[in-house]
Amino acid sequence: MTGGRSSPFAEPIKHAILILGALVVILPFYVMVSYSFKSPREIETNTGGFFGAQQEMVNEYCVKLGNPREACLETPVAFNYSEAFKKAPLLRYLLNGVVVTASIFLIQVIIALPCAYALSKLRFWGRDFVFALVLFCLLIPVHAIALPIYIMLAKVGLTNSYAALVIPWTISVFGIFLMRQFFMTVPDDLIDAARMDGMTEFSIIWKVMLPTAIPALLAFAIFSVVAHWNDYFWPRIAITGNRDLYTPPLGLREFKGGADGSIWGPMMATATIIVTPLIVAFLLAQRRFIEGITLTGMK
Amino acid sequence: MKRILSMAAGAVLMTSPALAVDIEVGYPYSHLFDVTYEKIMKDFKKAHPDINVKFRATYEHYEDGTNTILREAVSGNLPDVTMQGLNRQQILVEKGIAKSLEPFIAKEADFEKDGYHKAMLSLSTFDNKVYGLPFSVSLPVGYYNMELMKKAGVTKLPTTWKEVIATCKTLRAGGVQNPVFWGWNITGNWFVQALLWSQDTPIVKNGKANFDGPAGRVALETMKSIFRGCGMKNLSWKDALASFSAGQVAMMFWSTSALGAIERAKGDFELRTSEFPGIDGPPKGLPAGGNAALLVSTSKDPARLDAAWKFLKFITSGVGAAAVAETTGYMPPNKAANEIILADFYKRNPNKETAVRQLPLLRDWLAYPGDKGLAVTQVIYDAIEGIVVGDKDDMKELQQELVEEVNDLLPKGS
Amino acid sequence: MTARAPTHRTHRAGYWFVAPAIVLMVVILIVPILIAALLSFTDYSLGNPEISWVGFENYDRMVNRSTYTRMITATATYVLVVVPASILLGLGAALLINSVKRFNDLYKTIYFLPVMAALLAMAIVWEFSLHPSLGIVNKTLASGCGTAAESVLSFGWLPWVDAQASWYARGCERGFPLCFGNKDYAIWTICFIGIWQAFGFNMVLYLAGLTSVSRELYHAAEIDGATSAWDRFRLVTWPMLGPTTVFVVTITTIRSFQVFDTVEAITLGGPSKSTFVMMYAIYEKAIQQNLIGMGSAITVVFLTFVLLLTLGQRYLVERRVHYS
Repeated sequence: MTGGRSSPFAEPIKHAILILGALVVILPFYVMVSYSFKSPREIETNTGGFFGAQQEMVNEYCVKLGNPREACLETPVAFNYSEAFKKAPLLRYLLNGVVVTASIFLIQVIIALPCAYALSKLRFWGRDFVFALVLFCLLIPVHAIALPIYIMLAKVGLTNSYAALVIPWTISVFGIFLMRQFFMTVPDDLIDAARMDGMTEFSIIWKVMLPTAIPALLAFAIFSVVAHWNDYFWPRIAITGNRDLYTPPLGLREFKGGADGSIWGPMMATATIIVTPLIVAFLLAQRRFIEGITLTGMK
Repeated sequence: MKRILSMAAGAVLMTSPALAVDIEVGYPYSHLFDVTYEKIMKDFKKAHPDINVKFRATYEHYEDGTNTILREAVSGNLPDVTMQGLNRQQILVEKGIAKSLEPFIAKEADFEKDGYHKAMLSLSTFDNKVYGLPFSVSLPVGYYNMELMKKAGVTKLPTTWKEVIATCKTLRAGGVQNPVFWGWNITGNWFVQALLWSQDTPIVKNGKANFDGPAGRVALETMKSIFRGCGMKNLSWKDALASFSAGQVAMMFWSTSALGAIERAKGDFELRTSEFPGIDGPPKGLPAGGNAALLVSTSKDPARLDAAWKFLKFITSGVGAAAVAETTGYMPPNKAANEIILADFYKRNPNKETAVRQLPLLRDWLAYPGDKGLAVTQVIYDAIEGIVVGDKDDMKELQQELVEEVNDLLPKGS
Repeated sequence: MTARAPTHRTHRAGYWFVAPAIVLMVVILIVPILIAALLSFTDYSLGNPEISWVGFENYDRMVNRSTYTRMITATATYVLVVVPASILLGLGAALLINSVKRFNDLYKTIYFLPVMAALLAMAIVWEFSLHPSLGIVNKTLASGCGTAAESVLSFGWLPWVDAQASWYARGCERGFPLCFGNKDYAIWTICFIGIWQAFGFNMVLYLAGLTSVSRELYHAAEIDGATSAWDRFRLVTWPMLGPTTVFVVTITTIRSFQVFDTVEAITLGGPSKSTFVMMYAIYEKAIQQNLIGMGSAITVVFLTFVLLLTLGQRYLVERRVHYS
C-alpha cells in the first residue's frame, strides 16, 4: 500500500512507540492478574512479585464452618480461583452472558440495519426527523431511565427474567448511527444496479449492503457484546430475586465487603475469568475482519 | 372399638409431617455473611424442619438493600424478611413497608429472658413500637500498630482525643509519617454521631438538627484538631485500611467490623484494639453500626408470618446470634448470647472483646426523617470533608451553615 | 449517474424499515424520559404512596447551590480533556498499527483490552495502583528517591530550577501527592483513566474506517506528486476518514458526558465535589438518595445541555464532511 520513500528507522520507532503505549495500557491488567494469584496480605501490602509467594494460607470460610485449621490450608491461587467459581455460580453467569449478549445483538441487527439503510439510501418524507430522533436518543443515559423502565417491566410482570435483561437494549441507536455512516460511503451505483436487477429493497439490505459493511458490523458486534457482557448496572436493578439470572460482572459483587473489607483475591480472579471469553472472541473477530475485507474484494 | 380408632387417629397424626412453609430472606454483604447464614441454617433446620428458607440475591451494601426493597415494594415482590442497616430502618418504617413486630412480641412468654434487653430493642424502635430485631452490631474502636508505637516510645494507649493528638506528635518525632487515620468518611455520618453521642447528644432531635449547641461545636473543633494536629491525609477508607495493614499507619479509628479483614491482611506487627477515646473522659455513648432483621412480608397467610417470626427470633438469639461473632467482626447485641455462649470465645479473641466491653454505651445510629434524609447525610459528609482538605477553618461559621442547610432539608413542622 | 426521482416503491419501503426502530425508541427511550421530565416537577421518592407537585423548586435548587456549579465544572473539564485526547490517541494508534508490518493483531488486542475489561474491576485496580504509598506507580516513583533518577526527574540539571523545591523532591520527602484525595488532582486522574478506557474504542472505529479508504486513491495521489507520509495523510486518509471522524467525535463526546463508573467506584464525586460529574449527580440524587424529583430535574438539564452541544457540533462538522 505504501509507495513513497520511508526511512529504515521508521519501523522500529513505530514499534517503540506502540510498545511504550502498550505498557501503560496493560498496567492494570498486570495488576489484576497478579492479584488473582496472591494472598490477602500480599495484596494489601503489594508484595510478592507477579505470582505471589504461594505460601499456604488458611481458608477462613472453611474454618468458620467449624472445620479444623489444618484441613483448611490451600495455596492462594487455588483459593482465589476456586472461590470465584464456588461463591457465585460463575459458569452459569458466563452462560447467561452468552445468551443475553447474543440475543441482544441479533435483535439489534434486525432492527438497526434496515433503519440505517433507509436513513442513508432511501428518500422519504420525515427521514431527517427520524435521524434527529436517533441522535437525540443517543444522548439519553441509562441511569436516568432505569427506574421508569423497571416499573414498566414490573407492571407487565417481566422483572427477574431474561426478557428484562434483553428488552431495554433491543434498540441500539448507536448501531443505527454507525451503520448509517458506513452505508453512506457505499456508492449508489451498486444499489441502482441491484434495483435494476429486480431486487427488492429488503433483499438489497441483506445481500448488497451487509457484505460491504462487514468491518463496521464487526465493530458494532464488538461494542454491543462488550458493553452488555460487562453491564453491571442494569442487571442489578432488574434482577432482585433469583441470582441465577445474573450476568458475569455480578460475580464480582459476592466478594465486596464494603467498610468491613472486601476480599480482593477471588474478586480479581473473577474479573480475569470474565474478561477471557471477550479476549478470545475479539481475537477470532479480528481474523474474520481481515477475511471480510478480502472477501468483498475491497479496496 | 372407639379406643382403637382414636389410637389409630393419634398414630396417623403423629407420623404425618407438618406442612412445610416457605419464606424468602434477603441480606447484604455476601462475602461477610454467607458463612454466617450457612452456619445458622444448619441449626435452624434441626430446630424447624418444617420451614424452608430461600435466600434471595444478596444486597451489595446497606444502601443497595434499602433501594432494592423500595423497588420491590413498587413492583410487588417483597421478600418476607430483610436485613437492613440500622440507620436504614427508619425509611422503611416511614413508608409503611416494615411491619410492626409488637403483635408477635406480645405473644412471647418471656422475651427478655431470651436476651432481648431494652437497649438492644431500642435500636429498632420507632414511635415506641419495635419494628426490627438487631442482628449484628458494631462499635467504633481504635486499632493500634504496637510496633510503630513502641518504636516511637509510646507506652500508654490514648483514652481521650487530646491524648491522641499528643501521641501523634510523639509518633511524628519518632519518624512515623502517617500517624493516624480517623474514619470520618464512614457511611451514615457514623463518626460524627460518635462524637456527639460521646457527649450524650443525639444528632437529630424532634425532627430537627441537634448540633447547633455547644456539643456540636465541640464535635467540630475536636475533628479539626485531630485532622490538623496530626496532619491526617485525605485517604479514602479503602486506601487507609490498606496502609494500616501494611504497617504504615500507627493509629486507626474505625468500626470493629473490619477486624477480621485487617487481621487477615496485616503484616507482621502486633495489633491491639482499644476503646474509642472520649472527649474529656470516656465516651458517654456510641452509635451502633450493623444491621437488623425487618419483617416486610405482604403475605396474609398466618402460617407464613409465623414462620418468618420464628426465623427472626432464631437468628437474633441463642446459637443463631452467637454465629455472628464467630464468623464476622460484628457482635450480636443479644445479652444472653454474649454472656453465656460466647464468654469463652471472647477470652480467646481479646481484640474482638473491646467492642463487647463498650456494649453498655450502645446508642441509635440515627437517620434523618423525611425523604431528604440521605441528602442530609451527604451535606454533613461534604462539610467534614471540607475540614479535612483544609477548605473550612472557622468551626463556628461552619456549624451555623450546617445547621441551616440541614434544617432546610428536613421536613417542616414535624 | 442519472438523477432518479424517488419512486413510490422506495418511499413505502423506507417507512417499513424505520417503523420497528421508531416504536422501540419511543417505548424504551422516549416515554421514560418524558416520565422523568414530568417527575422533575414533583418531589417523588420511591415508596411514597402519592405524587405531589412542587413546580420549579428542583430547578431553583440547582441554580442556587454551589454543588451544582461544581458539577458543571467537573463535567466540562472531563469532556474537554478526554474527547480530544482519546480521539487523537485513537487515530494515532490506528494509523501506527495499520502501517507496521508485524504484530498488528497483538497491538490491537492490547490496546483494546481496557474497553473489554469490566469497569468495576478496572476502577478497583487503578485505585490499588495509584495508592499513595503502596501502589505500583508511587512505589516506582519512590524507589527512584535518592538515586540518579531523582536528580534527573527533579530537573535539577536545568540551571534555573531549584531541585529541592521540585515536586519530585518534595514527594520523596513528604510522600507523593494523592491522586484521588487531592481536590486539585482528582479530576485529572479520573480524566486519565477515562482516556485510557476510551482511546481503544476509537482505535477500533478508525481501523474499521481505514479499511474503507480505497487504495486507488493513494496511487492517484502518488501520481499527483504526494510522496511523504504526511501528504498522504493530509490529502487522502484524513478526508476519507471524514464520516468515521464525525461518528467518533459524536460518540466520544456523548460517552464522555455520560462518565459514571469510575466516579462511583473511586471518588464518589469528591473530594470537595471536584469530580461530581452530571451522571453521578443524577445517580446520587435519583437512586442513592431516593430523590427522584431532583434526579429527574438534573436529567432534564443534562439532556438539554448535551442536545444543544451536539446540535452545534453537527452543524459545524457535517458541513465539512465528504461522503462518496
